[in-house]
Amino acid sequence: MKAGSNFEKVLAAGHFAVTGELGPPQSNNIEVVKKKAGFLKGNIDAVNITDNQTSIVKMSSIAAAAICIQQGLEPVFQMTCRDRNRIAMQSDIFGASALGCLNMLCLSGDHPNFGNQKTSKKVFDIDSIQLIALAKRLRDERKLLDQEKQFNSELKLFIGGAGNPFSRPFEFRALRLAKKVMAGADFVQTQCVYDMERFRDWMKAVRDLGLHEKCYILAGVAPLRSADMAAYMAANVPGIVIPDGIMKRMNSVPKDKAGEEGIKISIELIEEIRQVEGIKGIHLMAIEWEHRAGEIIERAGLLPRPKVE
Amino acid sequence: MVKAKLKPLEEIFGMIRSYKKILTLSCGGCVSVCMAGGQREGMELTLELVEFFRQNRLDAEFTHYTMERQCNPEYLFDAEEIVREADCVISTACGAGVQYIAESHPSKPVFPALNTLFIGIDRDVGLYEERCRTCGDCKLGYTGGICPITRCSKSILNGPCGGTHFSDGSCEIDREIPCAWNDIFERLKSQGRLENILTVHPPSIWMDQAQRTMVQYGFEERYRKKE
Amino acid sequence: MKGLKTEEKIKLILQRREAMIKLCLSACVHCSLCAESCFKFHNHSKDPSYMPSYKALHSIGKIFRKKGKLKDEEFEEMKDLIWNKCVLCMRCYCPMGISIPLLIAAARAVCREKGYYRTYDVISKRIEKSKKVLTK
Ligand code: SF4
Ligand code: SF4
Ligand code: SF4
Ligand code: SF4
Repeated sequence: MKAGSNFEKVLAAGHFAVTGELGPPQSNNIEVVKKKAGFLKGNIDAVNITDNQTSIVKMSSIAAAAICIQQGLEPVFQMTCRDRNRIAMQSDIFGASALGCLNMLCLSGDHPNFGNQKTSKKVFDIDSIQLIALAKRLRDERKLLDQEKQFNSELKLFIGGAGNPFSRPFEFRALRLAKKVMAGADFVQTQCVYDMERFRDWMKAVRDLGLHEKCYILAGVAPLRSADMAAYMAANVPGIVIPDGIMKRMNSVPKDKAGEEGIKISIELIEEIRQVEGIKGIHLMAIEWEHRAGEIIERAGLLPRPKVE
Repeated sequence: MVKAKLKPLEEIFGMIRSYKKILTLSCGGCVSVCMAGGQREGMELTLELVEFFRQNRLDAEFTHYTMERQCNPEYLFDAEEIVREADCVISTACGAGVQYIAESHPSKPVFPALNTLFIGIDRDVGLYEERCRTCGDCKLGYTGGICPITRCSKSILNGPCGGTHFSDGSCEIDREIPCAWNDIFERLKSQGRLENILTVHPPSIWMDQAQRTMVQYGFEERYRKKE
Repeated sequence: MKGLKTEEKIKLILQRREAMIKLCLSACVHCSLCAESCFKFHNHSKDPSYMPSYKALHSIGKIFRKKGKLKDEEFEEMKDLIWNKCVLCMRCYCPMGISIPLLIAAARAVCREKGYYRTYDVISKRIEKSKKVLTK
């Protein structure tokens, strides 16, 4: 056990894991976090807390993660490389750990150009793979970057990275995942899967490298809420490919039925994903739809969630 | 070479409006190559400022002079006198040149006419592309001659990030910007050097914590600090 | 320099560098050491017109001897020598202590006063107008 978190235990016991996602509010409103956590609690094994996603200022991911712990929901706090140099990163990992956070996801982070602070100075002191290595060093060696002196407390951390099956260069994406594993990733959550064919190809490359045996891989699933959303995502969100078949289905139903169709598609995708060798769980990104997450997970036959000691 | 672009005229005017004897000092080096602050551009700027002052009913005497280079003591000599005669200097050199003039004439207000932008290449006449951010720890050896610091929007060393568009290999921030790491991959692959990016590259040794001074190889003795 | 006529300005430029110009005219022994250290000379298959000493003597040397009174064509011709054939990189070494780039820079300064200089693209239409305003 690296951290002994619920999430890690579920995976270690061989269960098909389910993680969710919670976007903190664009304010200090604790009630929003509590409410969203309430919807997710009991339906998932752990919840990812996004770190100023799309570079829009939100409540700190570590603070929101701590609130989730108070609510009895285990967090995976996300940390991007966009806003912190290596001093702040190591300091925040200490802080998050002291607050009881056991799972961490290391990301590059969206470019500031997307958000509401476009003229800020971007940091990117180190990159996501270097962040994974840094976190591992803190945990396994109890040493700061470039420092030989050990600190004298134990730091438990289950370290994750993102997988990108749908970005160029396709051929390099599995190799890059290998770099993350080399750096110390214990688990991987992928970008949203819609294109099963391509996803299977990617997983084959991942298996050929033996990565599925070196880390737990969870496939990303995000329910489409409308045909417009699907079209927007396909055209604009990098790392997302939506095949024509799914687009057609979203377009073929009336507007008020689109959400239901999206959920159906997600459930079917989860079915197919479960058949892919080497996949250990799903990561459900029902952003601003947290109240529907439980229903999707239930209909996918993934409830109740296992209790592992 | 260094690339720069003229500041808005209003901004320059705001800096110099209270002076009576104004010298526009052009630089014959990099900024004349990128057509921002050479002799011609300096003359044109002076002309526009004359007009601006006239429109604002302000009276000032303008002079223009071109130095071959504003970042080198030998060439500084040529402009000594003309700088001394002025109330203030508006320099069309890059930021380094402006500072050197200011340092050499500490009692003289010296203002920048340009925004210094980057070190880049001349793609065409009037078209420039940034290529180096002087990180001080050059990575081009393992990135196939493509600068990840400059060309990758996130300056990452183990790219590409998840933001590369699948359809066209563009960077997440703009369809017009090719993903540097996609290009790095393609070039290394075509040269049979993919192994260069299969290992984890350690964090960069950033060199910008404090002002840098460089002593060239062979000159160590000459500039050795006295004990 | 303000208010001076072009001729007077040129005189001033020559005065400022007089010692160095005279040194060059009298002390250059054509040892060709400067040529050895000039990359422009080497890059142009040792074409003698790229020799630093040649470039200095045929630009500022000529201007000095004729007290700045060169024909327009002569200035125009000189542009190639002092802008294209020397980049003022200061790499050339002269055992007599002559600084070729400072001399070429002086030649450039004279040419600039006469309105001959490099613009890196087609001549701007406004240039004539600005010349008038600034020299009046
Ligand atoms: S002062 Fe700046 S622009 Fe002028 S030559 Fe030096 S570096 Fe180039
Ligand atoms: S890696 Fe650094 S030194 Fe090399 S080109 Fe890029 S910014 Fe310049
Ligand atoms: S898409 Fe490519 S260029 Fe853009 S930030 Fe990511 S790795 Fe860098
Ligand atoms: S300053 Fe001119 S003459 Fe001297 S080495 Fe450079 S290019 Fe050659």
